[in-house]
Amino acid sequence: MVNMDKILVVDNVTKEYPGRLAVSKVSFAVKKGSIHGFLGPNGAGKSTTMRIIAGLMPSSSGSVSVLGEKVEPKNFKLKNLVGFLPENPPLYPDMSVEGYLSLVARLHNVKDINNQVTKVLGELSLLDVRKRLIGNLSKGFKQRVGLAQALVYDAPFLILDEPTNGLDPQTVVELRDFIKRLSHEKTILFSSHVLPEVEQLCDQITIIHKGRIRATGDIHQIHQKFRQGLVLRIGIGEKEILPDLSLFGKYEITHDELVGHEHQYHLVFQDDRDCRAEIGKYIISKELNLFTLQVESPELEDIFLHLTENRE
Amino acid sequence: MILTIWKKEMESYFTSPLAYVLIGLFSLITGIMFFNLLVTYTDGIQAIPQHMAQEISFVEEVVLRLFANINFLFLFFIPLLTMRLFSEEKKQETIDLYWLSPVREWQVVLSKGLAALSLIFAMLIMTIVFPLIVWGVGIKDFSLLGSAYLSVVLNACCYISMGLFFSSISNNQIIAGLLSILGIMFLWMITWGGHLNSNYMISEIFNYIGITSHFERILRGLIGTQDIIYYITFILLFGFLSIKSLGRRNW
Repeated sequence: MVNMDKILVVDNVTKEYPGRLAVSKVSFAVKKGSIHGFLGPNGAGKSTTMRIIAGLMPSSSGSVSVLGEKVEPKNFKLKNLVGFLPENPPLYPDMSVEGYLSLVARLHNVKDINNQVTKVLGELSLLDVRKRLIGNLSKGFKQRVGLAQALVYDAPFLILDEPTNGLDPQTVVELRDFIKRLSHEKTILFSSHVLPEVEQLCDQITIIHKGRIRATGDIHQIHQKFRQGLVLRIGIGEKEILPDLSLFGKYEITHDELVGHEHQYHLVFQDDRDCRAEIGKYIISKELNLFTLQVESPELEDIFLHLTENRE
Repeated sequence: MILTIWKKEMESYFTSPLAYVLIGLFSLITGIMFFNLLVTYTDGIQAIPQHMAQEISFVEEVVLRLFANINFLFLFFIPLLTMRLFSEEKKQETIDLYWLSPVREWQVVLSKGLAALSLIFAMLIMTIVFPLIVWGVGIKDFSLLGSAYLSVVLNACCYISMGLFFSSISNNQIIAGLLSILGIMFLWMITWGGHLNSNYMISEIFNYIGITSHFERILRGLIGTQDIIYYITFILLFGFLSIKSLGRRNW
């Protein structure tokens, strides 16, 4: 049965190259109207999975459906429903920005080509370079043109493979804001190495490592699921040593460094109980200078590292 | 769709120096060839008695030789045109643009083939100036000119079709170009092989597979059904192989 709440359903997809398994039994779904982050280290199988979803590559087994339509070579209906920005945008360096976008619009049978191209050029701040050859543009502008290519035929589902990779900070911020705005009208599957970016942009995430899915779902639920217990940041005087706190529960020091005149520790308690008040009193009773005492929420990075390092 | 891709290819030829260099070079070489053939012809008829000179045909000595030479030039010019058509797009991954859009493989192959053929037409149009020159000096026997043009255009279609196939199987345009040159040479050599073989059947088969016998017949205005079938089969076969090769790479 087709679930129209899910715009993309990847079911048990495996891709095998001779002598190498690129992705293995990958399953996840993308909810309509969400920005779904696709995370994984280099070579994890992100780009392969995305190319399979975009219909550029066949899977060895399993199935992919977008908007209830099965992704297969002769399904031409899907071609106007999926916009794809690959890791290397398919750009012709000898074409002008405007000419290139008009070509893409024509290939997708867009009716009002001039208006649509002008609209996308405006949205991505490309109007000033519309007549310039793509080959003469900076990397940031080329990436914008690549994104414009995925947008010019107004597909409801976008696949963006590391769209901010290798760009200058200002362009990264602009593109992130643009992607955030886009999510009001489109569903986006978005891969990235930059974990804070994913946390900032995405409602849902899927973590892939060595071709297998490690976690998938709502970003807050994943935070909850992989929460390791109470994480405390304690800062005391620079020449002071943190006393033993094991009477408050079993814990582990994950981080220990001097920050200015403060000796900072990160402690991960197995128990989830908030025992800050007792710890504060205890440290002061030991005649130490207490500068910082706060609960740290586990970063996506911690979860990511936990999932990609501990399950070799 | 075909017009869209054809236009894009034509723009691509003419935004780079490639088209201008090839058309210029082709015109220069064919011009020199024509001049040489004309000089040899006029020297020849001046050197012999007038009643014998009338038996030396201008068409035979100049027109047919010129077009046979043009066919030889295609050995280098057509691979230069076709080698990058798919291999470069595959290398740069721009070919994905077509597979992400509702375009069929045959439409891409046909459009690119037509674009290469259009450039061949642009080269051949330059040679129309030669009959005009000799018309001006009073030679008006152009009986085989139409079939001569038809023969080189048909050969060009075969070479383009083969060039597209080799470009579709390689990501390296130099390899694609070299394979095309070898392929064209092979087509010529099969006919030579046929001439060398004493077995009649084998000799006939070689003759049919090789392009030279068909080319020479059409060049001389002897257009037979078997020649037309040969050209159509050849072009469709390599067109089909290109479509299959592109399809296999993606799915």
